[in-house]
Amino acid sequence: MPPASAQERLEGLRIIAPAAPGGGWDQTARVMQQVLQEAGLASGVSVENIPGAAGTIGLARFIGAERGNGDAVMVSGLIMLGAIVTNRSPVTLDDVVPIARLTGEYEVLAVPAGSPFRTLADFLEAFKARPESISWGGGSAGGSDQILAGLIAQAVRVAPSRVNYIAFSGGGESLSAILGGQVSVGVNGLAELAPHISGGTLRALAISSGGRLAGLDIPTLREQGVDVEFENWRSVVAPPGISDEDRRRLAETIDAMVHSEPWRRALEQYRWIDRYLAGDDYARFADAEEARVQAILRELGTGRGERSFADAGPYPLFVLAGLVVFGIASVLSFRRHGGPDGGVLIAPARWGAVARPTGRVWQPIAVLAVGILIHLTLAERAGFIVAAAALFWFTARAFDARHPLRDAVFAVAVSAGAWLLFARVLQLPLP
Amino acid sequence: MDAFEALRSGFAAALTLTNLLWALAGVTLGTAVGVLPGIGPALTVAVLLPVTFTLDPISAFIMFGGIYYGAMYGGSTTSILLNTPGETGSIATAIDGHVMALKGRGAAALTTAAIGSFVAGTLATLALTLFAPPLADMALRFGPAEYFALTVLAFTTVAVLLGDSVVRGLFSLFLGLALGLVGIDQLTGEARFSFGIPQLLDGIDVVILVIGLFAVGETMFQAWSRRSPEGEGGRVTLHQFTGMSRDDWRRSWKPWLRGTAIGFPLGVLPVGGTVIPTFLSYMTEKRLSDHPEEFGQGAIEAVAGPEAANNAAAAGVLAPLLTLGLPSSATAAIMLAAFQQYGLQPGPLLFASRPDLVWTLIASLYIGNVMLLVLNLPLVGVWARVMLVPRPLLFGGILVLASLGAYSLNRSMLDLVLLFAVGAIGCAMRLYGFPLVPAVLGLILGPLSEQQFRRAMAISEGDASVFLERPISAVLLATAIVVLGGPRIWRRWTGTTLQ
Repeated sequence: MPPASAQERLEGLRIIAPAAPGGGWDQTARVMQQVLQEAGLASGVSVENIPGAAGTIGLARFIGAERGNGDAVMVSGLIMLGAIVTNRSPVTLDDVVPIARLTGEYEVLAVPAGSPFRTLADFLEAFKARPESISWGGGSAGGSDQILAGLIAQAVRVAPSRVNYIAFSGGGESLSAILGGQVSVGVNGLAELAPHISGGTLRALAISSGGRLAGLDIPTLREQGVDVEFENWRSVVAPPGISDEDRRRLAETIDAMVHSEPWRRALEQYRWIDRYLAGDDYARFADAEEARVQAILRELGTGRGERSFADAGPYPLFVLAGLVVFGIASVLSFRRHGGPDGGVLIAPARWGAVARPTGRVWQPIAVLAVGILIHLTLAERAGFIVAAAALFWFTARAFDARHPLRDAVFAVAVSAGAWLLFARVLQLPLP
Repeated sequence: MDAFEALRSGFAAALTLTNLLWALAGVTLGTAVGVLPGIGPALTVAVLLPVTFTLDPISAFIMFGGIYYGAMYGGSTTSILLNTPGETGSIATAIDGHVMALKGRGAAALTTAAIGSFVAGTLATLALTLFAPPLADMALRFGPAEYFALTVLAFTTVAVLLGDSVVRGLFSLFLGLALGLVGIDQLTGEARFSFGIPQLLDGIDVVILVIGLFAVGETMFQAWSRRSPEGEGGRVTLHQFTGMSRDDWRRSWKPWLRGTAIGFPLGVLPVGGTVIPTFLSYMTEKRLSDHPEEFGQGAIEAVAGPEAANNAAAAGVLAPLLTLGLPSSATAAIMLAAFQQYGLQPGPLLFASRPDLVWTLIASLYIGNVMLLVLNLPLVGVWARVMLVPRPLLFGGILVLASLGAYSLNRSMLDLVLLFAVGAIGCAMRLYGFPLVPAVLGLILGPLSEQQFRRAMAISEGDASVFLERPISAVLLATAIVVLGGPRIWRRWTGTTLQ
């Protein structure tokens, strides 16, 4: 490992978190930011959140907008592999440059303290006897929890398509369902379940690590005869098309980061397990994981709506039918009671009785529309201040055209003020 | 009284000068983000997390608590004055609050909102102090079947929001439900109605719909009708700077208490949020009112109840977070992350391992509430004058803030385009007499209801009798039927006995 002093400091590194603030990827990105600056490995490090569709939106944006940029990295991981399959993402992790795996989290199978399942053997017996009667509660469809449920089923020779997996959105929802005994068994990350296991409200049946973890009295799947080892890993990747020089620099910086004291402290603080793996070893690992995840998700049938009980059924059709029926009924009601064509505009009384506007009614709306169109065109090209000022000015025009100059002054002042508030005080990146 | 002893030492720790300053910073910042559309407390706390890394955890949590409560206060201000709810929890407030503001009674609406929030916040914090663990345990008895029944009950509130025409109200509702279909189906991971646009995979954000329908729609509508007599001469005159009259007080205090009673327990539930309690409160007030015809025309009860409910729900959210480590809202999830940043794990062990932190946090919530009241009441008169800003500048400012808020949500241009498209739809709906609120309720409740129904069915292996066999679910469904059919039956019965 090269000493940190021999390291060139990276200037203005941008870390993309392909998720909303608060989640695991966002935390990883923000801890990296903290550690890199504290350890003097980089300066001016910023974090950008691009949330959506379990990271695949961030991935697509990363590949498209950052191609060849040696000063950008993105946090990634196992969940993104799953999302690429379930969302049928057009871009995959093959399109980015792997840098390193950083951390990992093991998954735990747990039941409430009052559950009839005392051990994993009890549970598997019931599962094998009638797979559908066992409901598995965990996080989002196609995520790490469902992948593990599928792998376990496969290992005990039950078709993964028969796993009655109940996807909950967000950690809080699945945790409360597990604690409340709403599902037969819960699959979740160790960090989320640990306090309840040590508090005695949950009983851990198995952990997905290779060997027992120090200080934890939870038997592994493997030692109980289920040949599955699994972790929810997080990694860091670079954009495609960067130079070998940039790649080397990023790899060295990350290497120095994971060996720094602040990183050690952060791992402890967040209870992350150090799973650092760099270079070609990581690339090989990621490829193997990709194949495994793709295979199991195909068998689980996620992303294709092929689940028997959780099927959406006729609900979407019902909604669309309702929309059409009441749409037609509304039009008919205009006929009867007089609509805009009848000469009287019916607005609910609470908006004030609005008579049909007379004169050049379309003019203000047209001015407003022009303002909005200019705003939308300029927003990402000319920056937000210009775009917002234009929007303000045209809106003011639409209401009252008598003071163009005063409106212009206010337009610039309000836009600049709003930009300062959002971008500087609240630290939200704006174009 | 163990809890009171602990709380006393909590107050001692919270009442130091530094901690008071952190609380003040928190409530001020919270009020500000509550006012801004699109930016909520969740985002604010997340952005502040790295900054507070070096702070003492107690100070940091005092500030976060202040932000959280402050945002609930701030959200009502823009709802009432500009018909632009800053948070989903203040949509119900906008319905009658904005009409009050248009009638020049903005100060009264803001005052009842502020005092109602204070009363609810304090009572709910008291309930949190005393009953947090048993309530959180109760929440665990809610499974998918119970949540489905709860959403059915919430759907009945649409009945009081339909406006003049039932079919147009239902069209609005179904529009919301249809928008709720867009995106990845949570249970199967299957994409629905996303038309191959990746940004639509996560569905249409409620915030976009709310800001679009209300703020942008309102602006377009006003631009359209500016030459009409109402638009031209509709300049608001403020005739009641004093705020609430004696009659307003008389009509407000019961809704405050009822709002608290509805909001707190529903906040404890992990899928609650603040939307369901605020609308249930709105419906309750209309049903219990002696003059239901005033609802929608600026009834003060319709502001007092929902505002109390959203603050009480905000306090309720903290009960499962502190006692079980269960985040039941987006902000709670970020707070959980904040605890973890300090190496703390909320849950059964936190009260035992860090009682100082927990009780200081709870004590600072009481203090934050008082601060918010002191901060907000004098400002009511100032805020109410926003209505006097020349309309070109006012609406220009609204559109700029709306567009900034919408963009910063996901940093997506598509959201911005959607915002203005939804605005145009909102303007058209208003012109043709479609109520807007059912659409928002449809978008929020539709996916929730569908998911919980299917989860319950999956767990029961396709047996629909679970909804009636589980007692809580059966009671909720029965309540929904009574709420829908009750008034009619009651009227018929009283009508016949009177004659």
